[in-house]
Amino acid sequence: MTLVERMRSGLGRRGARTAASPAVLPAMLGVPVGLWQAVFFAAPLGFLVVVTFWTVKSFRLEPDFSLANWERILLSGPFQRALLYTFEISLLSAVLTLLVALPAAYTIAFRLPRWLRDLAVTLLIVPVFSSYMLRIYAWQIVLSPGGIINSVLRFLLDLELNLLGGQISLQVGLLTLTLPVAILILVMAFSGIDRTLIEAAENLGCRRVRVIWHVMLPSIRRAIALAGSTAFLLAFGDYISPLFMTGSKPPTLSILIVDTVKSGSQWPRASVVGVSMLVILALVFLAVAWAGRAGKGGK
Amino acid sequence: MPKPFSSLPDISRRGFLKAGVAGAALAASSRWSLAEAAEPNVLNYLSWPGNADPYLIADFEKAHNVKVKIKEYVGGDQMLAVINQSPPGAFDVVLADAEYMHLLHAADFVEELDPADYPLKDFWPEFQKFPLHWFDGKLYGVMTDFGYLGLSYNTDVFKPEEVSSYAAMWSEKAKGKVGFFDWYLPSMGSISLSNGNRPPFDIDEAHFAAVKEKLFSLKPQASGFYTIADIFSSLTNGRAQLVPGIGEWITLGLRQSGVPVDTIIPAEGGLQWTESLSIVKGTPKRDLARKFIQYTTSPEGQVKMATKVDNKKSIPSIAGWKLLNETMPKEAEILRLELNKPNVMDEYAAKKINFRQLPQQQSIEDWNDVWSEFKSL
Repeated sequence: MTLVERMRSGLGRRGARTAASPAVLPAMLGVPVGLWQAVFFAAPLGFLVVVTFWTVKSFRLEPDFSLANWERILLSGPFQRALLYTFEISLLSAVLTLLVALPAAYTIAFRLPRWLRDLAVTLLIVPVFSSYMLRIYAWQIVLSPGGIINSVLRFLLDLELNLLGGQISLQVGLLTLTLPVAILILVMAFSGIDRTLIEAAENLGCRRVRVIWHVMLPSIRRAIALAGSTAFLLAFGDYISPLFMTGSKPPTLSILIVDTVKSGSQWPRASVVGVSMLVILALVFLAVAWAGRAGKGGK
Repeated sequence: MPKPFSSLPDISRRGFLKAGVAGAALAASSRWSLAEAAEPNVLNYLSWPGNADPYLIADFEKAHNVKVKIKEYVGGDQMLAVINQSPPGAFDVVLADAEYMHLLHAADFVEELDPADYPLKDFWPEFQKFPLHWFDGKLYGVMTDFGYLGLSYNTDVFKPEEVSSYAAMWSEKAKGKVGFFDWYLPSMGSISLSNGNRPPFDIDEAHFAAVKEKLFSLKPQASGFYTIADIFSSLTNGRAQLVPGIGEWITLGLRQSGVPVDTIIPAEGGLQWTESLSIVKGTPKRDLARKFIQYTTSPEGQVKMATKVDNKKSIPSIAGWKLLNETMPKEAEILRLELNKPNVMDEYAAKKINFRQLPQQQSIEDWNDVWSEFKSL
């Protein structure tokens, strides 16, 4: 149920009950959130869609109803290539994120002493509040031809690796963004598993691997889906890593948006790219939610 | 074209802090706002970043007891968008790249200027009647500074004779090392020059198709497409070792901080970027605007323009050159602005320089589309 629906049902019930009904307060508390959503999310989104039909005349936006922007963007080679590429790298990033985050979160939740676990969680939260841009610049210093890794390699093995600009550096950059969030989600999920289930499985003679595979992972299935789709979302919309780690080679959809605006203030066409990205993300989330529900039905 | 980052090579923490504090102080005191635009002691200035640096304008502000408020833009498209969306009187003076002057003129955004008001006679003869600033024999912009764009290269990897032609970009040595400044105009202009097109931006469809083909053949050589900030770091960390369509406005500052880079104007020719000041139509402060242009083109204003910290430029005024050589001979030598010695006018004399212009026979969009496609290949 969406917030609005929840509010509406809350308000609807009010008529049937007295003013002192316990449903009134939650509904009233929900009003600011609903307003916030309407003003800062729904309205801009609606405007974004409207702008896609406008035209630009001598660098000025003019209200119009033209499908030319949609036609031009959706049929353009650079857009299609960028779409495919952005989808691929985001999917790869989501998979890599889960591959790293699952064991890491498991270790943090079950294998570390309490104080170390708290420290690990703190260390995961800190980067979320530090500048992502700065962290990417730091990676440039580490990975560049004259950077730290290459200086060490040159000194020890007389070897030079082309690390910056390519899939490796791009994924390193994206993981910088996605990993802390994904690990935090999974640590919380692992910590929330009912310990009696684990004990029961162990008492019935399950080895640790079987416990993880048959008890733990199924119970945090939803968190895994959330972590994976969040990683996908972050990577899909990211602008910084593709720009600074690969030098826009090749461009992603976010870079295409900026390029489109730079080229003759084409906000309407950039909005087409933006709306397309939102549609794709919505579809991905629906697919993940549907897959999660289907999995549950099978149990 | 100026670079807006004042301390890029200095990535120390102190550098960041200093830049941050300076930036915040500047932002607070000199940022343009529409609400204050009408105040009589405010000059509203639409310009590339960095041009309201106190080093440049403090003397003017003191002399006329005014405050210069700057609205910064990055790129001519953004400049046109801002001016298009602002009411008359929002801006008094605009600094524009020469290739956008005809658009400003065509849209009737700038006033005709009286040549007698400005020290054009002090300028090098080549710049006294700079073609892109005059329309139907009338003056609309006064040149303030210029520079060249050629082929910038890593001097540890390439010798000057190896980069004497744009062909160096296709060499085996340059594979994966050709960086691009992510702007179609100078980048594709260089490719057009390498195809022997002069002027490089006035080409017919057949030649345009050839430029496209030549550009696409560079893809295996490309290392990436960089923003202004990233072009500095890419040249510094060696990711890009050859960059077409940029110039000393990038490499001079880097070289001074120890990065092995230089710019050459290849045999096929180079491009010239040029900035000028114009009075915005509808301003109620025409006199003040005129005085600002006079100040910037005076010998003192010109010396400041040339020696501004964040961005070294060449200046068109011989009187400015003279003052620079008297007061800062060392700077004059570094900037190649020495009279009666090899200097930046030599490339002009050698007829190697072409104006950077917008595409003449195709639309901006056509060129941009080719550039977008090249990037996504």
